[in-house]
Amino acid sequence: MSDVSELPSKEANVLKGHEGGVLAARFNSDGNYCLSCGKDRTIRLWNPHRGIHIKTYKSHGREVRDVHVTKDNSKLVSCGGDRQVFYWDVATGSVIRKFRGHGSEVNAVKFNEYASVVVSAGYDQSLRAWDCRSHSTEPIQIIDTFSDSVMSVCLTKTEIIAGSVDGTVRTFDIRIGREISDNLGQPVNCISMSNDDNCILAGCLDSTLRLLDRSTGELLQEYKGHICKSYKLDCCLTNTDAHVAGGSEDGYIYFWDLVDASVLSRFRAHSSVVTSVSYHPTDNCMVSASVDGTIKVWKA
Amino acid sequence: MNTDEDDFVFYGTPIQREEELISRKKKAVAEASGHLRTLPSWKQEVRDEEGRRRFHGAFTGGFSAGYYNTAGSKEGWTPQTFTSSRKNRAEFKQQSMLNFLDEDEKEELEGRYLGTASQFDTFGFTAAEIARKQAEKEQQQRPSAVPGPAPDEIVLPATESIGVKLLLKMGWRHGHSINDSHANSLYKARREARKAFLAFSSDDAKSQPEDSEPGEEDHKRILDHPSVDGFSSSQSTPVYILNPKEDTHGLGYDPYKHAPEFREKKRTRVSGKQGHGNKQALSIKDSLFGLKSGRAAPGFGIGALEEYDAEDEDVYASVYEIEDTYIQEDEEPLRSNTENKPKLIWKEQGVLSGFKVALNSDYQLERFDPPVIPKDFLPHHKFPGPLEFDNKPDAPPEVPPPEDDNLKILIEGVATLVARCGKLFEDLSREKNQSNPLFSFLTGGNGHDYYSRKLWEEQQKRNGQKKIALDGKFSSSVDKMTVESRGKILGEMPLERSSRDLSSSIASVNVNLPFNLSDTFTKPESSSELPEVAKPFQDDPGKQARFEQFLKEKYQGGIRSTVSSGASNMSEAARARERLDFEAAAEVIEKGKFIKENKLHSQQLMGFSAIGGTQLTFGGLQQVKDTQDEDLATKKIYPRREEFQWRPSGILCKRFDLIDPYMGKPPPPPRMRSKMDSLIVTSDLKAMKMEEAFSADRNQPLALQFSPQEVSKDVVDRETEPEVQVENVERPVDLYKAIFSDDSDDEIEASNLNTKEDPEKKVEVVHSTLNRLMAGDFLESLGKELGLEVPPNPPYSANIAGSSRQKESAIPNPGNVNILSVEENSFSIPIAHSVSRKERAANDEKTEKKGESRKEESAKKGESPGPSEDKSDKVHSGKIAREVRKKAKLPPSLHRKRTSTSSEDERSRKRSRRHRHSSSDSYSDSSNDHRDRHHSRSKGRKKRSSREKTSSKKHHKHHKHGSKNSQ
Repeated sequence: MSDVSELPSKEANVLKGHEGGVLAARFNSDGNYCLSCGKDRTIRLWNPHRGIHIKTYKSHGREVRDVHVTKDNSKLVSCGGDRQVFYWDVATGSVIRKFRGHGSEVNAVKFNEYASVVVSAGYDQSLRAWDCRSHSTEPIQIIDTFSDSVMSVCLTKTEIIAGSVDGTVRTFDIRIGREISDNLGQPVNCISMSNDDNCILAGCLDSTLRLLDRSTGELLQEYKGHICKSYKLDCCLTNTDAHVAGGSEDGYIYFWDLVDASVLSRFRAHSSVVTSVSYHPTDNCMVSASVDGTIKVWKA
Repeated sequence: MNTDEDDFVFYGTPIQREEELISRKKKAVAEASGHLRTLPSWKQEVRDEEGRRRFHGAFTGGFSAGYYNTAGSKEGWTPQTFTSSRKNRAEFKQQSMLNFLDEDEKEELEGRYLGTASQFDTFGFTAAEIARKQAEKEQQQRPSAVPGPAPDEIVLPATESIGVKLLLKMGWRHGHSINDSHANSLYKARREARKAFLAFSSDDAKSQPEDSEPGEEDHKRILDHPSVDGFSSSQSTPVYILNPKEDTHGLGYDPYKHAPEFREKKRTRVSGKQGHGNKQALSIKDSLFGLKSGRAAPGFGIGALEEYDAEDEDVYASVYEIEDTYIQEDEEPLRSNTENKPKLIWKEQGVLSGFKVALNSDYQLERFDPPVIPKDFLPHHKFPGPLEFDNKPDAPPEVPPPEDDNLKILIEGVATLVARCGKLFEDLSREKNQSNPLFSFLTGGNGHDYYSRKLWEEQQKRNGQKKIALDGKFSSSVDKMTVESRGKILGEMPLERSSRDLSSSIASVNVNLPFNLSDTFTKPESSSELPEVAKPFQDDPGKQARFEQFLKEKYQGGIRSTVSSGASNMSEAARARERLDFEAAAEVIEKGKFIKENKLHSQQLMGFSAIGGTQLTFGGLQQVKDTQDEDLATKKIYPRREEFQWRPSGILCKRFDLIDPYMGKPPPPPRMRSKMDSLIVTSDLKAMKMEEAFSADRNQPLALQFSPQEVSKDVVDRETEPEVQVENVERPVDLYKAIFSDDSDDEIEASNLNTKEDPEKKVEVVHSTLNRLMAGDFLESLGKELGLEVPPNPPYSANIAGSSRQKESAIPNPGNVNILSVEENSFSIPIAHSVSRKERAANDEKTEKKGESRKEESAKKGESPGPSEDKSDKVHSGKIAREVRKKAKLPPSLHRKRTSTSSEDERSRKRSRRHRHSSSDSYSDSSNDHRDRHHSRSKGRKKRSSREKTSSKKHHKHHKHGSKNSQ
């Protein structure tokens, strides 16, 4: 397969700087920069292609679990064990606002399309939407229909999609005011959208990634082989939607074929749990973060 | 910054900015050190450490007082013996004679000390004294980290008594115990070797003499002859070497007590200085993560206000544990011995810190030998007398039980007890209950035959059991006792088994508990197997075997062995999973709810597993089902799709740049309501009461509620709104429509679209509101009317609903004139209906064909979202309108169902109407101005967001117009 050679499996750079595990690494929207956050309570901004550490954002009181940047790269949002959502100014590194209200740790956070709303997913079984435009620090909406910790959240232009440990992936369609709940029967660790927005890839805690059709809720495919049983691991689709990438608890990174679910490639990327993978929006490039404290940049 | 702080209230005075302080200080320092020195003395200014000049008051010298702030005297200020009482209080010095003596006098005194000559200073007291003096003298000469005189404790004599000298002459050396040299020549050799090694690593040499490792001490103790007891405890006069105190910590304070990794770090630094580089391998990172990471996240504490709880444990800790295993190997053995071993001893033997374990203690545990058992002893106790009945060889004849059930039970119970406790019990109870006619069977009265038969049966049982018990005892040794054997001995048996036996052996229908219980104790369980029913894993014999083993262990109690036999080849996870299974099954069995049908069992198991599945920790073990059919079943179940109503908040929609699907329906009740609202409500007490009466059965559908809701106001809103999200209450939607069809949603949508439509329409709206106001207390009258018109039986109301629908569908032709607002119809209908239909259609589809609705939705999604939203709605509206029309022809019963499904949106729409009516009604009230103010306030609140287009604002505008007009 010619495809396989295109998969990013060569280590291009190692980004070191985090003390303790790195919990998430994310490309920005154009893929020129990458953000990471970890147990050392910092968020770090990197240039992954040149392997340069650019900036450190410190303010969190506990580990930082997720970070997201706006499309115009001007604002950051992060969340973590201190139950707060921080809204940062990227350039100055100052905290613009802190959103308090989650009852316990916040697992994931995302901006919406216009960077006007931040949606956070918490261990307190709720999703909260926060307004970035006003000065209010109260959530503008609380969704608490989940029956267990909400692990991951994705936003489209019109929907809020979240995966929870209660085994459901819930889509909240703002246009029609409906909640669509897809019960997978397994705790959902991470959800990520396909680039055409038609599918959801849900990483479940039974060491399976599941691909769901969003319109019908059908289970399209299952991807197995990796280990994901107790950690919050990320998974993602490649930018062509041809492959599925995911980390494993044994330090491996797996690539599956999207259609026939065969493992196309697996290689040892880190010395311990690969917590996060993020695929470049246009190139064959990927970053992975691990508990071993490193972020690695992979290229084809 | 400021904007951010607007929301907070600050208490107390803020701490001054550090930079400000620092800058001033810096200035002071710079001036003091740098340029001041270059200035001539008359140009120098005196400033304090904060960089300020001292001002002494205008009339007392100003800045130039006290010789320009330098000192109070002409010659300046040269401190001599004076110590400022301000900063360090003059400490009270103990005066001695020496303070008042001259140098020569002191020298003279030196020689006149009375003390033991060093030769005879066996205990070293004098030497200690001299050493202390010496140290004190040195103290004054060289600067030390510890100021003041050296305490006695750390200064100890370095001289040797005559005894020590003698011993040394005899070949004894420090560190040796005094005993036969050949006895521990082996030890000596080892010691020599170690010494050589120590000498090699010279940085540790100073601490060498006291390094007596516990292991070697033990070794010594064994080797030492008991004859030299007196000396063996203090093997040598300790040679105390003063470790120079290089640090500035307090005495006895070990800063590394809780952070030993830093000691390592420091040690490496020190040794690095000394040139012994073999410890450099120990990196800082290793020491940081290697030793500490077990509990908390590596290297980082938490805030002072945060409590340290379970969640701070490092879930990734195991990763580092691997690392520190190889760190240990790099460590130099000697140093770690001297430093770590004493602590180890304390920890191991539980000795208080600062104390040392005595090598030999006076206290000795007295031990007694166990008694000698005679060889012919049989470990079997023979009970004298009562249990052994005069065994009647012939059984009493089988007697039918007495008619009286109670008596029968009583007899059986007594018989069981007697069989168990012996004849004595029978006699006792006979004596006790002599007068009781119930117990006449004991004395040969009614039921005696049955009693004797029963007794015999019980005795037979007991005898049999005893025999078995004895057999069991003889055949198996005690340590091999299993559940069954013990059960046999104790006469235990599972409950359900006994009940079945009873039902078979005794022709009794009435099984009563006390009897049953006693029977479980008396009746021996002959079969060692579990009851047949307890085989939940029949399809997998291996698993079944393990399960039985598990049950055995469970009933045996105590600590269960983690490795169950036969399962050794299983993975840890699989075993854990199976254990969960077993636990669940065992619980089911225990409860006695176990039914033979595997179905139910597996269902219960499923329930268990589902519970487990919701927890993250169990997630990995969650795939409980190992049989394939169940796997298939789960696959069939999942993924499962459900749909619910969900209401996005208006502001969320705005932020997402979407049209609120629930727009126009009132927002969830604002937290801060003006008091005016409630005042208005209370003015209408009659309606309130009606409302309350009906709100009790709010769950009852349809027309019942109609009139009260119509009349009632915000109170209802407040009451019902919390429930809105939760319950699906049936409401007479279409009835409303029939009456207020033109003004409600139409108007909302119209107002929503007003932004796009020409301003003339606004005038129309104003007119319509005016019209409404003219109508005066139309609400009240309407309520009364409706109260008359609408009987409370649902079918009729459903009919009304049906008719209302028809009416509604007829609305589009503008000729249909209504009392309230005709004008609005003309422009607002098309879009409004398209939206409302769309919603309704969504509901309809849901109830009818899910698949279709999905397609529908997906189709909707496929279209471009956002601003083009309403366009897409229009596209659908035609199709949906057709559907609606079709609906209208459906029989009323179906209608009702439909209305029930269309739950929240319509209800809330209704409410909105109500709301508006009430508010419009209020204009006729005297509280006009209050209203107005309230509205304007709420408007002002909303104005904050820039893109204000919602209908609510429009609405306020309308009302404003209206109120102006009315004024």
